[in-house]
Amino acid sequence: MAVEEKIDIDVFKVVFRAMAQSDNLEIMANHMAQLLVAALEIKGCTIFALNPESEELEVLASFGMSMGYINKGPVLSKKSITATLKGNPIVVQDVNNTDLLQYPEDALKEGIGAIVSIPILFFGEVVGALRLYHHEIWDISEKDVDSLLVLAENIGLAMAYTRVLKSLKKIRYTINDIRGLWMLEPK
Amino acid sequence: MAIEKILLPYNFTHIDQKAVRFVIESFVHLKNITITIFNAYTAVPEIETSSATVTGKLKGSLSYLTQKIADQENELNKVKQKLVQGGFAEDKINTVFKPRKKDIASEIIELVMKDQYDVIVLNRKHAKATRFFSGSVSHKISMSLKGTTVCIVS
Repeated sequence: MAVEEKIDIDVFKVVFRAMAQSDNLEIMANHMAQLLVAALEIKGCTIFALNPESEELEVLASFGMSMGYINKGPVLSKKSITATLKGNPIVVQDVNNTDLLQYPEDALKEGIGAIVSIPILFFGEVVGALRLYHHEIWDISEKDVDSLLVLAENIGLAMAYTRVLKSLKKIRYTINDIRGLWMLEPK
Repeated sequence: MAIEKILLPYNFTHIDQKAVRFVIESFVHLKNITITIFNAYTAVPEIETSSATVTGKLKGSLSYLTQKIADQENELNKVKQKLVQGGFAEDKINTVFKPRKKDIASEIIELVMKDQYDVIVLNRKHAKATRFFSGSVSHKISMSLKGTTVCIVS
């Protein structure tokens, strides 16, 4: 029996419109997490940013997961579903039957049955990960995984845009700070 | 200046729990102090309902989203109980749980300016990568407010 596809053009429209409602990356990412949970009828979703220095995945937005699970400890890119950080989507259909997880016991305690981990790419570089958590064993369609890759790429774009914007703002504040000094004419 | 009003922004992390302990240890001996526990959440986005297929698909799940947000509000009430157990009077503790429209720092600054708090107890998360996207909340608040004591728990 074919696996049902849940992400269609209508879902894309809703997610992109919700993302476009905000100019704040955190709100945008939270809306995306909420709508993916609703559209896929899953337990929760977390969007991580990769810290390239510590190789930790830091939570940017999350929905549906308990605070205990979110605060379970540092998520290390080398220990937790590592292939995502090589740019590949990974489907853990059954968390009882995998050695890919860093915190398998916490996942079971949280009531997670399956995890889909999608890389967030920008210019071919991994800048984060989109993770979706289902209550039960999950047979997600290939087309839905492809759609999730597209959505993740858009978050990657928004992350890159935010970085540029923040840098420009810092430059503007610095210039404003020292502008008075520039105006002083040497006597 | 006597401390009368404390604002405690809370985001359910381990460091937030540390901030609660700090408030109990540092301020419980003061009389007539009012504490406001604050959390700004991301509201469920408004969805255009003209498309029947999407509405049908998402409608059932949206109540799940709303329930999850309500759960968060209950968690905030548990923090209130912790402060009560720590020695503060229950009628002197308020919770503000509101949808956020801008970045967290701006939401806090707006609330402080509106309600004139004497002290804000913030915490500083150690996440460097996400801070690059969201900016440092504690830095923005301490640079923007005058006449308010800002305590940072790290």
